[in-house]
Amino acid sequence: MTAVAAKPAAGGAMNPTAMGVGVVLLLILLGACYFVSPGLGLMALIGIIIGGVLIGFGTHFVPVGGAPAAMGQAPGIATGVAMLAAGAGLAGLSGGAWAAEEGTAVAVITGGVGGGLMMAITCMLVNFVYVFGMGIPAASGKVKKDPITGDTQAEFKSQGTEGHGLPFVSFVGGVIGGILGGAGGTIIYLMLLDLYKATLPITMKATEAQIMPIAVSLAGMFAVGMFLVNAVLTAYNITGTIEGPHDPKFKRWPRSIVASAAASALCGLVAVLIVAM
Amino acid sequence: MENIVFGIGITALAGALATVAGAAEDTESNIGSQGDPNSQVQLAPQMGFLHRIFNKAVAGEPPAYGLWCCLGAGLAWAFMAMQINAVLAIVLGCILAVFVQGVYATTAYLGRQASLKKFGQPIYVDILKSMTTVTMAHAFVAIFCTVTLCYLMNTALGHPFPLPLLGLLSGIALGAAGSATGNPYYGKERQYQNQKFGAGVPISASGNIVRYAEAGERNSLDNGFFTAKLGGPASGVCFGLIVFLELWRTVIFENMKFPGLGAGWYPIFVGILIILVFTIIDRYIETWARKTYGPYTKPEEASS
Repeated sequence: MTAVAAKPAAGGAMNPTAMGVGVVLLLILLGACYFVSPGLGLMALIGIIIGGVLIGFGTHFVPVGGAPAAMGQAPGIATGVAMLAAGAGLAGLSGGAWAAEEGTAVAVITGGVGGGLMMAITCMLVNFVYVFGMGIPAASGKVKKDPITGDTQAEFKSQGTEGHGLPFVSFVGGVIGGILGGAGGTIIYLMLLDLYKATLPITMKATEAQIMPIAVSLAGMFAVGMFLVNAVLTAYNITGTIEGPHDPKFKRWPRSIVASAAASALCGLVAVLIVAM
Repeated sequence: MENIVFGIGITALAGALATVAGAAEDTESNIGSQGDPNSQVQLAPQMGFLHRIFNKAVAGEPPAYGLWCCLGAGLAWAFMAMQINAVLAIVLGCILAVFVQGVYATTAYLGRQASLKKFGQPIYVDILKSMTTVTMAHAFVAIFCTVTLCYLMNTALGHPFPLPLLGLLSGIALGAAGSATGNPYYGKERQYQNQKFGAGVPISASGNIVRYAEAGERNSLDNGFFTAKLGGPASGVCFGLIVFLELWRTVIFENMKFPGLGAGWYPIFVGILIILVFTIIDRYIETWARKTYGPYTKPEEASS
């Protein structure tokens, strides 16, 4: 079959075999972790998987138009999916890490709000530049009406383009994506920090105060790495661009969740093995 | 109380540094033609439009700035560990990071232009000589401001992350904010100045970028001059607001106890409130544009 004859998989076409393989891989990795470090390690890995899945799911909400958006040819933010999701999520992680002393719930929500805040400011300024810098109103190319505000879209689409700017539903999607990404990144960081705080003093024969800088750096680096893994996986799933939660490509999220869970489990196992072996 | 006043001062300084960093980052990326609009600079010769625009998409702006700011912060951190004064250490770290940026810019320009040889696109040595140093200068401003704000967050405000990791995170956020806000202004408004104002670029016009200036051929310095008027400042405001509001809500409300919930909840509620304020502003901008500019076609004629 040639590329031309291939059916475009715009909707949520799932491959049950691949999903099954992903789930089996996930269970094997969890089993391996249980074998190596049944208590703290397994708990940390489960937390990492939850964080990874949140990042993967959250990235689907972020309206990214890539290169066409930079020319006003397609709606969304004019940059890459992984880049924007990483920018928002890592801004959230930076805030969440700050609140780590206040407890897991406060830190995770703080991280989420930090990511959402970054996306809210960015999306608002994107529309500001489109409207006041370029004189172009926002219009979606994928739906006739904005699902939230009910604004009609087609007549605001300029000739020869698929739409431009960020309609309100895309703005809301961006904020939700930032919140989920920031919260997911912070969960990964906190889980690893707890694990390293408990195990590194024994491994390195030092006090907790002495190993703290190493624990914080290690957990932070792993959180950044796993963030990028999950964001890039999702970027493949949506083939580079998406308008937000109203885009038909959004329906592809289940397979991304399985992929994110399996990838996070593998990366998380490596992070656990550093102290478990 | 003194702590809070000190914290507010640091927050304001960090916000100002972030604003300058954002503006310099966007102007650097536009002069170097990095980021998504560079797809058109790369495409133009393939469509028969030879040009004298710099062409250095080393990587997406966020990972590129993540690398450069992380390098600057890491080297500054190493210099500080060698007991060198913090200001000098940051300057030295950033200078070294900028040399890496210069190497990337040079190799990216030569490599990308060489790949267009079969379409007749020459490699202009004068462009390489004059543009690379200008992008390096702007990159230095962006990296220096970002590393300094990371140093302030780390030393004065007590952020738990070490300086190099903060540099990486801030660099990625800087690139994301700068590319998101500044790219459309460079991509649509400058590269396609020959297209109608107030409309997106038709897909059929792809590659037909403006190549001539008031006198002679347009080069990337003209592009930097143009985008520094709106795209750059807007990117600066974007990154400045992100850094300022994020630090502000933490510094002021961190230690206040919310009745019934305890410490740490005030910054969350303030953050949610700020998100709502920006949502309202965005909605206002969107409806203002719809009312003021009006539709391109009549609703009944529109096809989806």
